Amino acid sequence: MIQPVGAMIRFDNVSFSYGAMQGQRPVHAVQNSSLSIKKGTHVALVGRNGSGKSTIARLMNGLLLPDEGLVIVDGKRTVDEDSLYAIRKQCGMVFQNPDNQIIGTTVRDDVAFGPCNLGLPVDEVLRRVDEALDEAGLLALKDRAPHELSGGQKQKLAIASVLAMQPDCIILDEATAMLDPSSRHEIMTLMLELKKTHELTIVQITHHMEEALLADYIYVISDGGIAFEGQPSQVFEQSDRIRREGLSVPMHLDIAHLIREHTGVPFNPQEIITFEGAVNYVRHALGYYRELATSEDTVTAPTCVPSEPFAHEADQQTDVIEVHNLSYTYGTEIGAPVAALDDVSLAVRDGEVLGIVGHTGSGKSTLIQHFNGLIPSEEGTVIVLGQDLSRRKVIRGIRRHVGLLFQYPEDQLFEETVALDIAFAPKQQKRSPQEVERAVLRAAERVGITSILDRSPFELSGGQRRRVAIAGVLSAEPDILILDEPAAGLDPGGRDALFADLMTLAGEGATLVIVSHDMELMARYADRVLVLKEGQIAGVGTPEEITSSPEFLEQVYLDVPAPKRFLDQFKDDYPNLNTFSFNACDAARALIAVSVPENTAGGSHE
Amino acid sequence: MNKSLLGRSIPGDSLLHRLDARVKFIAAILLMVAILSTRDVRVMAVFVVWTIALMVISRIKLTIILRSIRPLVFIILFAFLLHVLTVDGRTIVQIGPVAITEEGLFSGSMTALRLILMVVNTSLFLTLTTTPLAIADALESLLAPLRYIRFPVHEFAMMMSIALRFVPTLIDESVKIMKAQSSRGADYDTGGPLRRMRGLVSILVPLFISSFRRADDLAVAMDARCYQGEVGRTRLYTSQLVMRDVLFLAVVVSLFVLVFVSRTLLPTVSGIMSMVF
Repeated sequence: MIQPVGAMIRFDNVSFSYGAMQGQRPVHAVQNSSLSIKKGTHVALVGRNGSGKSTIARLMNGLLLPDEGLVIVDGKRTVDEDSLYAIRKQCGMVFQNPDNQIIGTTVRDDVAFGPCNLGLPVDEVLRRVDEALDEAGLLALKDRAPHELSGGQKQKLAIASVLAMQPDCIILDEATAMLDPSSRHEIMTLMLELKKTHELTIVQITHHMEEALLADYIYVISDGGIAFEGQPSQVFEQSDRIRREGLSVPMHLDIAHLIREHTGVPFNPQEIITFEGAVNYVRHALGYYRELATSEDTVTAPTCVPSEPFAHEADQQTDVIEVHNLSYTYGTEIGAPVAALDDVSLAVRDGEVLGIVGHTGSGKSTLIQHFNGLIPSEEGTVIVLGQDLSRRKVIRGIRRHVGLLFQYPEDQLFEETVALDIAFAPKQQKRSPQEVERAVLRAAERVGITSILDRSPFELSGGQRRRVAIAGVLSAEPDILILDEPAAGLDPGGRDALFADLMTLAGEGATLVIVSHDMELMARYADRVLVLKEGQIAGVGTPEEITSSPEFLEQVYLDVPAPKRFLDQFKDDYPNLNTFSFNACDAARALIAVSVPENTAGGSHE
Repeated sequence: MNKSLLGRSIPGDSLLHRLDARVKFIAAILLMVAILSTRDVRVMAVFVVWTIALMVISRIKLTIILRSIRPLVFIILFAFLLHVLTVDGRTIVQIGPVAITEEGLFSGSMTALRLILMVVNTSLFLTLTTTPLAIADALESLLAPLRYIRFPVHEFAMMMSIALRFVPTLIDESVKIMKAQSSRGADYDTGGPLRRMRGLVSILVPLFISSFRRADDLAVAMDARCYQGEVGRTRLYTSQLVMRDVLFLAVVVSLFVLVFVSRTLLPTVSGIMSMVF
């Protein structure tokens, strides 16, 4: 076998099936794939949930061995048992779930685990522990227990633990999937810095396209094979193909594509790959278009599907949840009690979609648990559908009307079949068997899972299980549905489909309270957005009001939604520009609309 | 709120914190046996003083120490009442067929005191001042001789330490699942035993499934970090006993000896009782 110069990891016609060994019907996870990852490069593997990305990652350092073909890591074959140890030392891996990869009972011990396995002398182990923790910025937390760390800190710890083994290559297997945007950003910054200082090869499995954009090369994985590949500019140029794979195109590229389509002004894909590059192109294209358009009679809007305000049968006058001066303090064993909520007052209106956004630890989760009495109010009052929840007796009744879904709700599934699991809630309400069946069917229909009612929830994909969990709450037929980060961990296609379902529910008159740290998502879907910061309400209003000030968003540790951030760059060029757009199409339409003077009054919404 | 004391040590820098975990482990066992065996009020008094001294030395808040007794309050009460109601002797109060006797009160109080002292000593030595990892390491070191009978000492210690690492994670998880099922109308407080059992299933099944998944993930993560068992592995903590460890152990051993010496050299329990009452 000839090893191309400089290849860190190479796949030669690799196939792998799960279950082949146990005599079950094999599931082909990877089929006849070949790839080559050069030393010192940053390569992204993208693809929808269940496309086989993680299997490919585990083949890379011999955690799985190919059924056919060869995996070669820096000249060593993973099938050679003697090389395995060396390969794993050379190729470290950071996994998705922060909790399930920390082995040590303290930060220090966890980082020491790898070097100890390598049999290094104690002094060397301790030196490497300090060094790795320093680089990951965790030195101050050396003696902490893992459960005292935040999600982002845990992932940094996992990186430090790999770093202490002095690898040449780090594989990130969806390492940022369970983190909030700011932690995700921190992890990426850290990795890119480490890549530079240690000349690391980085293999990153992700469905966050903003992360893939930072890579030198992208493989798009589909059904266990490589669908297509190329530099980011080449891959994202094929935007339709990317979307067919359940992925998305980064906002600034998406807008640039729409502008090109409409104005006919070409661009060099390499130039628009950065945010600034895309802005410059659009500015240039609009200028050109402006000259062109004045000589024509009519200006048309770009051909794409604009967002439409979905029809609400909402009675925005009645409040279904009222919270007055609510405060809540967590007692801790050691140290001072933590104020999770501090004098919060709010109202949720009947039939609205209310987005609650805030950084991690802002009190979002504590707040929503007050809405169905999971946390009894200590100070202040919570009134739901006219009932004061301080009267413990009303809580059981209230829970029928208020459905609450935690993050990763699929973790609560427990029955043998999907139908039985969905039936749990109506059965608890002691409804007749016929009524239970009807409720199950109706709930399943609303999230599109009627075809899998007889299957076990444990053999479904992540997106399907998420739907089953949601149906399991809908079957109680609640008037108010509270969802904590409903799209967490889903790929872009799955996320959009889920939100479309939720918006249908809202259209039918349900009141939705959606908790998220993704301002962009909330701006797109919510009627009103409430921002929490350190247990207090920092602001509440329409998405337009909330996102109008970048300074405010920065203060509350949230990102400006990408389309708005893009449009904000054109404020000086076009003072009349309506910057409140929350998807690419609206943004492109707004830009086209203002680029031609005669048409500014026409607006972007027709 | 949902952070149990289980498996949580309180950081500190006291003598008790700095003692070698192996010494603390042995001390806890010796004292447990000694306190259980004492029949002598005066020796018991010595243990009371000793325990109070330990509490002072540990510099841990009294409320936190007392909290470690909380789970056992019912057992302690039960033991006390059992003695009070069943031991024959000189009657103080007669309520119907039940006679409360001097001897009953005495042995009930002794039993309750014994249990309290035992719990406080053990938690001061082990749960409160020693990190779970140090306990696991101490155990591995103390069990080392068992290697000769092919007992998998390293694996046992690794299992212990991983179990301890995941206690808080699993507690958090079970609280989350319980809340999620409560939101779906599950009721864990009312209803007959069958209904409650059924309720338990809705917590335990998801908890088991996620624990298996965690175990699976963790095994893969350990593999990825080149774990190959004990062979060729660096032992990070190979602590030597220092003077204070030896001295402390000497004090504990003499306390232990005192208990058994007192049985032969000092007057018997009944003798003491006649002196007290």
